[in-house]
Amino acid sequence: MALLALNWRVWLVIALLFLFGLARRLYKQWRQRVAADRGPVPPLPARLRNGKGHTWVVFSTPLCATCGPLADELAAADPDGHVVRVDATRETELSRAYRIRSAPTVLLADSRGRVRERFVGAGAVREHLATLAGRSASG
Amino acid sequence: MLCAMTAPRPIDPRGPRVNQGVLTVALLAGFVLDWWPVVPAFAVVLFLGAAFGPRYGPVLRLYAEVIRPRLPPPTELEDPRPPRFAATVGVLFLGAATVAFLAGAAAVGWALALVVAALAGLAATTGICVGCEIYLFVARRRGVELAA
Repeated sequence: MALLALNWRVWLVIALLFLFGLARRLYKQWRQRVAADRGPVPPLPARLRNGKGHTWVVFSTPLCATCGPLADELAAADPDGHVVRVDATRETELSRAYRIRSAPTVLLADSRGRVRERFVGAGAVREHLATLAGRSASG
Repeated sequence: MLCAMTAPRPIDPRGPRVNQGVLTVALLAGFVLDWWPVVPAFAVVLFLGAAFGPRYGPVLRLYAEVIRPRLPPPTELEDPRPPRFAATVGVLFLGAATVAFLAGAAAVGWALALVVAALAGLAATTGICVGCEIYLFVARRRGVELAA
């Protein structure tokens, strides 16, 4: 009897572990699909644009710890650029239009508002800035 | 758009995930072995972390002192309040489960404990923290400024 009782408990736990594995796999696939979701996006709205030069748009969320410092880093590293911080949880239309899935996501747009680059995560932006710094130092 | 000065210091999100993983394994092991004292024991473990902070949570402290130094720095940080709220909900469920065990209603006790194990396991394996999402939903509706 005790063995039987143990058996159904073990089976229940195995089922639960299977569900965890399934959930993890589905969630991972969904995230990969979202990450792969690339394509043309509309030009930046005029209110965000810097007519004279390029614009960095930093999409952040209230929970994003790295977004604020990243925007400051961008402003310091690229004084010619215009840096705008957008709260993705409030600007939902804008976030949907630019397919923002995580924060920070940074768009780099030219003076006409065309999105030229897209960086997901602070690391990607810093890498880009380091590359630019390396180029200007060697040039 | 910057965060409020009163917002708590963001934390490494891997700490709560380790906590959730250990909790899941312990509760499932207790369920398989039909050893219910694991439920109040982990109610206390969760309570210490939720009420007094990560330094007082045994698993959170173990993570901070033993595991984290061996890992690369976190790529992102998170507000500590949502996982703390989730832990508080876990304490309430495990507390209710303990009462059920003491009252002789073991089935109810294990049902409540398994709800916690399932949600903690989901959070540990996928990062989807239901308690945290409830906190965020309520916080946004009430206009609470979260740590950015």
